Amino acid sequence: MSDVGILSKLSESLRVKWRERSNPTRATGGGKPNADTEADQLYLRARVIARGGDSDMAVRLFEDAIARAPQFDAAVEAQAELLDMTGHSDEAKAKYTEARSIRAATRQGPPDRPFAVRQRGNFRSEISAYDTVLRSLKKNALPYIARGNAYLTSGKPEQALADYERALKLKPGLLDVQAIKAEALSAMGKYDEALTTIDAVLTARPSDAEALSTRSVILMGLGRPDDANADLNRQLALLPTSQAAARACIALRLAAYELAFAELDSVIARQPHDPYWRLYQATARMRLGQPPASTPVVAQGPWPAILLAFQAGQASEQDVMAQADTDCRRAEAWFQFGAHVASRDLEVAKRHWRQVVDHAAPSLIEHAAARNELKRIGG
Amino acid sequence: MFSVILYGRNDSHGYNLHKRAAISFNALAEVMSDPDDEILFVDYNTPEDHPTFPEAIHDTLTDKAKKVMRILRVRPEQHAHLKSKTHLVALECQSRNVALRRSNPNNRWILYTNTDMLLVPRTEGESLSDILGAVPDGFYQIPRFELPEMLWEAAFDRRDPAENLRKLRDWSVRFHLNQVVHNFMPMKYDALGDFQAALREDMFAIHGFDEEMVLGWHCDSNLAARLALYRGRVDTLIDKLFGYHCDHTRVAAANNKGRQTKMNDQDRYIWDVSTPYLPAQAETWGWPDVTIEEVRLDRETSYQRFTAGLDAAMEPATVPYTTTSLEWQLYDDLSYDLPHTLPFVCDQVLTFPRSTSVMIVATRAEFVTRFAKAWQGMGFSGTLLVPDECEGLPTDLPNVKRGPFKELIGQTHMFIFEFGLATQRADEPVRRGRLASPVDEKRLKAVAKLFRQAASTEHETRPAGRRLPRRFIGVNVIYNKYWPLFTDHIGANINPFCSQVLAGIPREDPSLRGKVLRFRGRHAV
Repeated sequence: MSDVGILSKLSESLRVKWRERSNPTRATGGGKPNADTEADQLYLRARVIARGGDSDMAVRLFEDAIARAPQFDAAVEAQAELLDMTGHSDEAKAKYTEARSIRAATRQGPPDRPFAVRQRGNFRSEISAYDTVLRSLKKNALPYIARGNAYLTSGKPEQALADYERALKLKPGLLDVQAIKAEALSAMGKYDEALTTIDAVLTARPSDAEALSTRSVILMGLGRPDDANADLNRQLALLPTSQAAARACIALRLAAYELAFAELDSVIARQPHDPYWRLYQATARMRLGQPPASTPVVAQGPWPAILLAFQAGQASEQDVMAQADTDCRRAEAWFQFGAHVASRDLEVAKRHWRQVVDHAAPSLIEHAAARNELKRIGG
Repeated sequence: MFSVILYGRNDSHGYNLHKRAAISFNALAEVMSDPDDEILFVDYNTPEDHPTFPEAIHDTLTDKAKKVMRILRVRPEQHAHLKSKTHLVALECQSRNVALRRSNPNNRWILYTNTDMLLVPRTEGESLSDILGAVPDGFYQIPRFELPEMLWEAAFDRRDPAENLRKLRDWSVRFHLNQVVHNFMPMKYDALGDFQAALREDMFAIHGFDEEMVLGWHCDSNLAARLALYRGRVDTLIDKLFGYHCDHTRVAAANNKGRQTKMNDQDRYIWDVSTPYLPAQAETWGWPDVTIEEVRLDRETSYQRFTAGLDAAMEPATVPYTTTSLEWQLYDDLSYDLPHTLPFVCDQVLTFPRSTSVMIVATRAEFVTRFAKAWQGMGFSGTLLVPDECEGLPTDLPNVKRGPFKELIGQTHMFIFEFGLATQRADEPVRRGRLASPVDEKRLKAVAKLFRQAASTEHETRPAGRRLPRRFIGVNVIYNKYWPLFTDHIGANINPFCSQVLAGIPREDPSLRGKVLRFRGRHAV
């Protein structure tokens, strides 16, 4: 490795440490880790009590769990099931509807990423279910993989890694498991080990589009954007035009706005109500120097409505940051600030984009896009 | 909104199969309310000369069921390459994938279920289209509730699905039918394959069902494992609808041999699944390059095609009835009533693919002319192949190709051999002791010779790539001197004399007599 490589690697590892230190809540998605843990515990207790036959107590414990974590869809659904079984079908239906509303409001991860890291939501119920399976079936890979995925999605890559390793011990050489193991390692910031793992997968399966995505994230994490971009371009070439959403995400990562713009047209036609696609298209338009679309902006509503409002000049940076309550949202906000100011003041833009690179996980679209923006303007 | 995918085969399995299937088809159609909704029934490997399963029971289906149903017919020849790999005659994964590939792209959901299920929305008046339209993306299952065989057999009117669903609502309470049987994840419930609703785009992303699973069982669990990985969870619609299964255990299903049942490997296909994807079949699942015939029950039905063909070929009778006789002294009289016989000939070909080419080896010009009209009227596009060796037959009919027998035999998918009297007039009475003229003898001799050759060499003269034997139809081969000839070579059933027609595939007679017959036929001795 050259000196430049060592320096770059060193500076990247410092960045990782900085990210970890400055964002202690990142693993749980920000917010209230203790409250979620309490909710989890109440949920598990409620399930045991429900099995024991005390439905009333179980319903109350589920209620307590939901009070602590209102987005805990599995608890809402478990409560619904109990209510239904005990003859309270109307209340149950309302609860089932509530659980589905929580899920419907949870946006899946970027479609260009591997399936296991696209999932979002609370997977406590799945973890419990596979715990049960593993009490009876100890020699098969699926329960470990499925539970590992649930851990990974729940922001617990260490537990996920342990499960993937157990699966690999049972079925050595499973490339599919190695690929998600690399994701777990990457989520833990162990980029070198992740790279070795995913390299083995890609040596065996050079046209595995999801593995290329994994490696591009790892390479971004290692501060090797050129190599990461090469993988992104390979992934793009492998994806058929029918996968416009995934293609658009890759184009955005590459900061290739013309391509992104074209792909987003068809994505928006299929998913007109997803505000992110509109946000991304407006960003691409802005970065291509095109005038904003004449479509009126809905500034009210949950995130990322405020970012659309900001783009339209209807909200300030302070307004945006007031709503940016997770790492992810802060990174999205900084990226937009940079994009907004880039045509007038490159230095300010650079500063915002550097914030993204320094603080956001390399798996975020904005992380890769910010790196590519910086690379392009020599930042 | 959704495509229901079902599969089956018209093989008259179980004494009450037809009833439960009709109940199920009608009940599924009853809970559809979106104009894009459809029932895709893959009719897998039904024998060529049988109608598809839904066609066989069409009179018991509601107009709505007929309207929403698309039948995709997978022919025995299309299954032939898998025959050596499985003991089963109908393959679930292949069937479901053939349907998925051809499902309506406007539909967001694919619902996998079976032809013995009734789905009862818990809110009366709500349709399954409403339900699926309102739920977020996911992979949904429901528990299956069992319905004792006596109840559905005795009390359901298969043509009254609304009343059947009403009865189920009542019975479920009166008879304590609703018992949820939980199962390990990722299956979630027992008998999960009776309701698995997945996004169409998810099914395409994971490359459909695993077509390596050709031994029966666990296809549903494999799908659950892969979709559970892909989506991260298995969701339920238990608050929205109940699913009832028409129990049918008096007669075990074809793939149920008790403890001797062969099954797909559970470890390989469930517990050691490590990815949702099936890259090995990514380009081939659902046979995208294979032409699969589509049959409808609400238009261009078999009956409509049959009558259109016959109406084009002949005029209605002008007398109350005609007569013939099978008395033995008339054994050598080869006269027969062509307009009476033609419907039975057409009946033998109607269920074959429209692209079928048929070789007609005949004596009577009128037979060829009328059959050609009927063929066209029935909507067949395949060529009629008439060997040059048959003299006195028309040469200028549309879609008829003439040529030497040796050239044509490799192009035909089916044979018709007609043993009549070339000199018989249309207005002549039949079976009155008429003798064959020298011209008749000469032409019959030519037909008999070609018949022997065709039957003896059928295996080696098949069109390129064809694996299964071709069908021989004999016209005027019952209770006359060509009966022994035809049945020596062709394994035909005993048919009534009145139909004049026998049909079957070449016999594989390993006896010395069989060998001699084939040798003589092959060398035209």
